[in-house]
Amino acid sequence: MTPRLPLASRRNRLRRTGTAAVLALAASTLVACSSDSEATSGEKPTELRLAIGGESEEGYDPTTGWGRYGAPLFQSTLLTRTADLGVENDLATDYSVSKDGLTWTVDIRTDAVFSDGEPVTSADVAYTFNTAAKAGGLTDVTGLDEAVAIDEDTVEMRLVEPRSTFVNRLISLGIVPEHAHAGQGDAYAQEPIGSGPFTFVDWQKGQQLIVERNDDYYGTKPDFERLVFVFTDEDASLAAARTGEVDLVALPSSLATDEIDGMELEAVTSIDNRGMSLPAVADEGKKSESGAPIGNDVTSDVAVRRAINLVIDRQGLVDGVLEGFGSPATGPVDGAPWYEPRSAIDDNDPDGAVAELEQAGWIDSDDDGVREKDGVKATFNLLYPAGDTLRQGLALSVVDMVRPAGIEITTEGVSWDEIDKRLHTDAVLFGWGSHDPTEMYNLYHSSMAGTDLFNAGFYSNEIVDEHLDAALAATDPEVANQHWKDAQLDTDGNGFTAPADAAWAWLVNLEHTYFVDQCLDLGELHIEPHGHGWPITSSLTQWRWDC
Amino acid sequence: MAVGLLNGPPLTVGRLAGRLARLLSLLVAVAIGTFVLLAASPIDPIEAYVGADSASIGTEQRDQIAERWGLDEPPLQRFTAWAGNVVTGDLGTSQVFNEPVIDVIADRFMASLSLLVLAWLLSGVLGFALGLLAGARRGTWLDRTLTWWAYTLASAPTFWIGLLLLYVFSVSLQWTPVCCAGPIGALPGEISLLDRLHHLILPALTLSVVGISPVLLHTRQSTIETLASDHVAFARSRGERLPGLVLHRVARNAAAPALMLQFAGVGELIGGAVLAEQVFTYPGLGQATTTAAMRQDIPLLLGIALFTAILVFIGNLLGDLAHRAVAPQTREQGGDASRSESRGELRDLAREQVTP
Repeated sequence: MTPRLPLASRRNRLRRTGTAAVLALAASTLVACSSDSEATSGEKPTELRLAIGGESEEGYDPTTGWGRYGAPLFQSTLLTRTADLGVENDLATDYSVSKDGLTWTVDIRTDAVFSDGEPVTSADVAYTFNTAAKAGGLTDVTGLDEAVAIDEDTVEMRLVEPRSTFVNRLISLGIVPEHAHAGQGDAYAQEPIGSGPFTFVDWQKGQQLIVERNDDYYGTKPDFERLVFVFTDEDASLAAARTGEVDLVALPSSLATDEIDGMELEAVTSIDNRGMSLPAVADEGKKSESGAPIGNDVTSDVAVRRAINLVIDRQGLVDGVLEGFGSPATGPVDGAPWYEPRSAIDDNDPDGAVAELEQAGWIDSDDDGVREKDGVKATFNLLYPAGDTLRQGLALSVVDMVRPAGIEITTEGVSWDEIDKRLHTDAVLFGWGSHDPTEMYNLYHSSMAGTDLFNAGFYSNEIVDEHLDAALAATDPEVANQHWKDAQLDTDGNGFTAPADAAWAWLVNLEHTYFVDQCLDLGELHIEPHGHGWPITSSLTQWRWDC
Repeated sequence: MAVGLLNGPPLTVGRLAGRLARLLSLLVAVAIGTFVLLAASPIDPIEAYVGADSASIGTEQRDQIAERWGLDEPPLQRFTAWAGNVVTGDLGTSQVFNEPVIDVIADRFMASLSLLVLAWLLSGVLGFALGLLAGARRGTWLDRTLTWWAYTLASAPTFWIGLLLLYVFSVSLQWTPVCCAGPIGALPGEISLLDRLHHLILPALTLSVVGISPVLLHTRQSTIETLASDHVAFARSRGERLPGLVLHRVARNAAAPALMLQFAGVGELIGGAVLAEQVFTYPGLGQATTTAAMRQDIPLLLGIALFTAILVFIGNLLGDLAHRAVAPQTREQGGDASRSESRGELRDLAREQVTP
């Protein structure tokens, strides 16, 4: 036994140093805790901590796309969206569009200053738009020919062609100061200056962004002196919420079923949707510019597309796949001001689907459960990006739902690369949802067929094209909205939605789930676009602490 | 190690030139290999950049982005242009971070360095000590537990261990922070050394797991072999007993494979850092690698691949030198020409370890 002793004592020494390490650790935890409680003690915390993702790795420069949805924080925009996606003035006091739709004249307020004390001028606005048009970033200002400052507080934007959706650039493009942006290279993006509700304090890349209230802001001043955005992954975000280190956290609905002490679940309506594109032309051996084959002999029959739309139980998908966090989708823009409510159908209707199919000649003559017509079996593939469990769940449920109608769908989880090659011959489970109705144009206008992922099914209807063109060319927002609605379903019964051409089978709109501190009142939340997390900041200045 | 450098076979100019030539050819191979793999990757960098906002970015704008990044040219041309710039010391600009690649790597590596060093020391010291213990106590419950533990660790994914530690120590016990390299909301100037250490513990512990098992198992094996050797039997016959035996007769022999593995494992450590940093939101090179990979940031990924290749090469070189310094028999036999059999095996082993 003797020889063991020294080793044992060595081990004890090891254990002692281990204990010392744990003690040191515990001590530092205490230090950390005490400093934390100092920061958050008192009735009303001055610092708000959010784990909602949204780090802009390339920096905070609006001309390359920063702040295109949600709040640009540091900068302010000419117009903003209201909670129901209406439009109201921000930096602009008024705007008008010329009769030919080519010239947009914007009047700006004169009391706005950048956080370095310089006033916001019409020259800054013109500079911002002209720079963004050439920047090759994530804000598409390609429709702009040039922006010119006419006088102190008026800017004229001259467009290449009439485009009603240009209003979205006035809404999403934060104005940068020419004096601090021009010739600065990428330095501006690292330390932005603007006229927004917050000023930049510090950005620890990959970790957190710290901002402070801008007391010179012309609009409603935020309730919080300081905001900290923590850029954690889902799991660390959930951990941070459980330990009370963050006040607001964005989590996928699959993680939203747990309870977290002191926090409430908030499910925010969105137009973040999921739906199936269905090839609308028959297979005639044609190929797209990139060499991908086009056409599907089953889904090209409008009766099949309508039957699919009729038979799917969308509420069932919401309950079964989304855990209730969503709503049935009738089109790509549900709930937006340019949404046509008449396009909604009564789904979960197998009888209606069967009637539609039989009338079109789809009969199950060999009694194998799948209908045929002219020797073609009612069967096709449905692709979804592999690894997207939500879309996988939806796809598998859809297969079960259409089977009773005699349609057989085979699902395949594949890479986007593979989808790129097959999206014109197979159905694809896409997700879209933008605050910009340009998306509708891209998805359904015949000129967009085969461009990127747009109009994957080569859908084409002259009347729909006319409505979409008219919507883009309109100079009045109300008129534009009416044309957008007509494209979905006009009074003559033409349109791309389920009651007419049923070009797609839209399935669900997601609800974005957040855990929010019980004491944090988020006010009226905006309908969110595709993209969960950062968009919730669009109403940031209205948030209040109510405990 | 310094002793090894002095006492070992002299590092002649010719040998150094040979090493450099090998490094250069390695870098060329890594660059070409990485580029070919990336070019064949299914991720479209523009689609990944546009992300959720897909439909509001039109074709014309996409062309602009491609032009800004130089993606409008064919792959071969892009590669030769890149290689030409690299020769002049310009690694290009990261698409994701919109900063020179060299700056991104420098910034991120500084953050990773403390994590890597701590994890490296932890895995080396723990692995070696526990390996000696298991070897010396061969066949006992202690040996069986340690061996079982080592196999479990070796087969457990790093991120899973990270999540486990996160939930136990950060959420349940609340001893450690959930994320980042400093407290949430603190400015860089306000973060103390203690804070930094506190935030380093869990990621370093997670990362050290990558290296513990091989070191432990190999140390155990060589401890067992040495304990069975003649010179130990001789020492035993002179009355030396276990702890002294292990410390004086075995440790030095067992240290050779441990050191070799430890240095050769640098590559694996960097690979593990990718996952560990992701779990703990630790802003190092690993996290940057993940971001770059998700977004198909070819200049940054190429830069990181070259940089880590150099690190792994240096690791192997140091392993060689350290091994030579510690294991007397290789020094006596001298030179690369005549290696002992065990050394040959070790080199094979080391080679297996370099892939991150």
